[in-house]
Amino acid sequence: MIRLVALRKEYGTCVAVDDLDLTVEPGEIFAFLGPNGAGKTTTIRMMIGLLEPTGGTVELGGHDIAREPEAAKALTGYVPDQPALYDKLTGMEFLRFVGGLYGLARDGIEDRAADLLDEFAMTERAHELIETYSHGMKQRLTLAAALIHRPRILILDEPMVGIDPQGALELRQILTGLAAAGVTIFLSTHSLGVAEELADRIGILDDGRLVALGTLDELQSRAALRPETAPLDASLESVFLRLTGTEDRRG
Amino acid sequence: MSRPPSLALLLAPRLLAARHALARSRGKAVALAAITAAFWAGCFVFFTRILQFFQTVTALGPILTERLLAMLLASFFAILLISNVVTALTTYYLASDVRLLLAAPVGTRRLHRARFVETLVASSWMVLLFGLPVFLAYGVVYGAGPLFYAATLATLVPLLVLCAALGVLITTALVLVFPARRTRDVLIVGTVALVAGGYLALRLLRPERLASPSEFAGFAAFLATFEAPSSPYLPTTWATEVLIPLLGQRGGDPLFHLAMLASTAAVAYLASAAVVRALFLKAWSRAQEGEIRATRRRHLAARLGLLATPLPRTPGLLLVKDLTVFFRDASQWSQLLLLLALVVVYVYNFSVLPIDDGTPLAATLREVVAFANLGLAAFVTAAVAVRFVFPAVSLEGRAWWVLRAAPVKLTTLWWSKFWIGFLPLVVLGEALIVVTGRFLGVAPALTAVFMATLFLLIAAIVSLGLAFGAAYPRFDTHNAAQIATGFGGVVYMVSCLGLIAVVVALEAWPVSRLFWRSFAPFPVGPGEQAAIAVAFGAVATVTLTSWAVARRVALRCFRRLG
Repeated sequence: MIRLVALRKEYGTCVAVDDLDLTVEPGEIFAFLGPNGAGKTTTIRMMIGLLEPTGGTVELGGHDIAREPEAAKALTGYVPDQPALYDKLTGMEFLRFVGGLYGLARDGIEDRAADLLDEFAMTERAHELIETYSHGMKQRLTLAAALIHRPRILILDEPMVGIDPQGALELRQILTGLAAAGVTIFLSTHSLGVAEELADRIGILDDGRLVALGTLDELQSRAALRPETAPLDASLESVFLRLTGTEDRRG
Repeated sequence: MSRPPSLALLLAPRLLAARHALARSRGKAVALAAITAAFWAGCFVFFTRILQFFQTVTALGPILTERLLAMLLASFFAILLISNVVTALTTYYLASDVRLLLAAPVGTRRLHRARFVETLVASSWMVLLFGLPVFLAYGVVYGAGPLFYAATLATLVPLLVLCAALGVLITTALVLVFPARRTRDVLIVGTVALVAGGYLALRLLRPERLASPSEFAGFAAFLATFEAPSSPYLPTTWATEVLIPLLGQRGGDPLFHLAMLASTAAVAYLASAAVVRALFLKAWSRAQEGEIRATRRRHLAARLGLLATPLPRTPGLLLVKDLTVFFRDASQWSQLLLLLALVVVYVYNFSVLPIDDGTPLAATLREVVAFANLGLAAFVTAAVAVRFVFPAVSLEGRAWWVLRAAPVKLTTLWWSKFWIGFLPLVVLGEALIVVTGRFLGVAPALTAVFMATLFLLIAAIVSLGLAFGAAYPRFDTHNAAQIATGFGGVVYMVSCLGLIAVVVALEAWPVSRLFWRSFAPFPVGPGEQAAIAVAFGAVATVTLTSWAVARRVALRCFRRLG
């Protein structure tokens, strides 16, 4: 469902993403981990067509994002790392607008938007300007907007940032439910707990390169084979630190 | 225990940001400095001429000199006061880094000191910059000694501090009463209305009459008796009383008035510090509150939705979204007040032109003015476009990703933005040409030629606006007026002026050959016909090429804007 082939992004002499090859199957939850500045957001921005790659291709649902951007985007929902929205629209107006951009029928938008606002506990504030919303509310509204057209692929960049524990729990349940319904989920996160709990497979990016890819068990086995001196415990944190080398860097 | 942060540390983020911005775009800084220097020199020459003229008016000269200074100081004071209120609202209550400072071990006293300096600098530098040539002109024309220049600085500093302190006090009072965002809207609209009103008033006074000696004598008498605010309790009066005696115009007690000014500024500063210390947290907390008016919002959105009914889906959605945001954002819709003033003055100018006395000279003047009107109408539309079309991409702000992540073609986005800008502008431009053409008695055929030319020109102007707007986006501000006055806005206006000049130059000969009284009776030969066709063809080529190239540039920039 998601296919990245030799995806590359250079900024002058700096290689932000280095020939990334990756496939995520339908219904799979894929967690994308990596230290700050590893290239996660750059990869995601290329995947959704917000940034032109220097090389390589991205396919979403079989559609090349460069050649058939509209077809690829129509299948996809996107939640950016910063919930920047139109401050002077209300939450309901924003959902109506986004629903329209994705070609939803006028009649259907109202019901769908009302359902999503209800699901994300925002009905009471639906007709207030977005500029009055808290960060968490904006994050929830962004997620509601990403789901309004019932996407087959959902790409989320740090979706847990700014969400309270209750909201995070609900989000995890929503993502699990969507994956069970066949939605492909590509998720970048700093929360190793979220990746550990939700992800079917995990990819670890470091300096723009995919340094590890597999299930949690596979990553643990691979990390254990490394010739480091310290014994490896079972947590993803240890695996992450060892595979990205941050363990050594931090001493 | 750690030492509290110094003033320099608290101001460091602003200073470092300014230094980085300067280092990043040296060319831009040089261009802006050149424009500023030209304007500065212009101000100096203008005031030098006026003051030199005043010196020739024997009886009224000294009075005029003093009254002009009093009026200028009063104007500076009013502008500074408004500017400080608006700036203090942002620096004290709306800036995002206030949260950081409040969370840090920074006392309100230090916070006030740092924000006060920031407010003072941000709101005063422009007035100070453009005020200095005026004072310099006074010194040069009246041959003042170094004491005058020293006194000018000594007068300006407390005057600026006083305005900033009053600005902080007024802002704090406003924020305690109204929600901060509403206060900002009211201030923005008030300021724009003031500028528009001042512009209208100035024009409707018909200053051109002053070119006539008898009219000027009347004006001088008016200025001499003009009740410029001269109450002994006004700080601007004290400032005048410091400077005029030092010009050698008359006696006085400059030291006493300087002391009055300095002590008042000091008291105002201390008062602002005391008020901020006592009320800042309460006022800041109130400033964070939003205001809720759900019902009116639903009505507005529903009405605007009707407008989009005949349009295709995506352009309709974008139109409704853009208009909804436009009418809810005071910084955007308040620009309409300026536009209205501009149009009224434009039409009024043509209604008072001296072209109806039946002489051949008046007829020739009418023809020349009618032709110049094409360029002027195009210039007016460009001036409107820089405020409404150029900021269109920047106003999408950081929410640009919403459009880019959606399955919407960039060309659809471009066309939507184009039509939203083009349709109102073309109606405005064509209406100006028709109405002013009627005042001038322009032949219907010539009006038709001008309308066709303007149609093409406006299409190119709007396309250029989108291209420059996308090439110089400013996602750091939501204020449309601020976006328009940035570097990109200046480059855009210069480009529009260049295009208008080329088009007007290309059309000058064919229009004069076909329509002007002195040429029209002679039949147009085949060679001339071909030359006329080439000239009109060149107009179409230049405008359409500009439109197409700008469109390509805009689309390329859209793609990069991800």
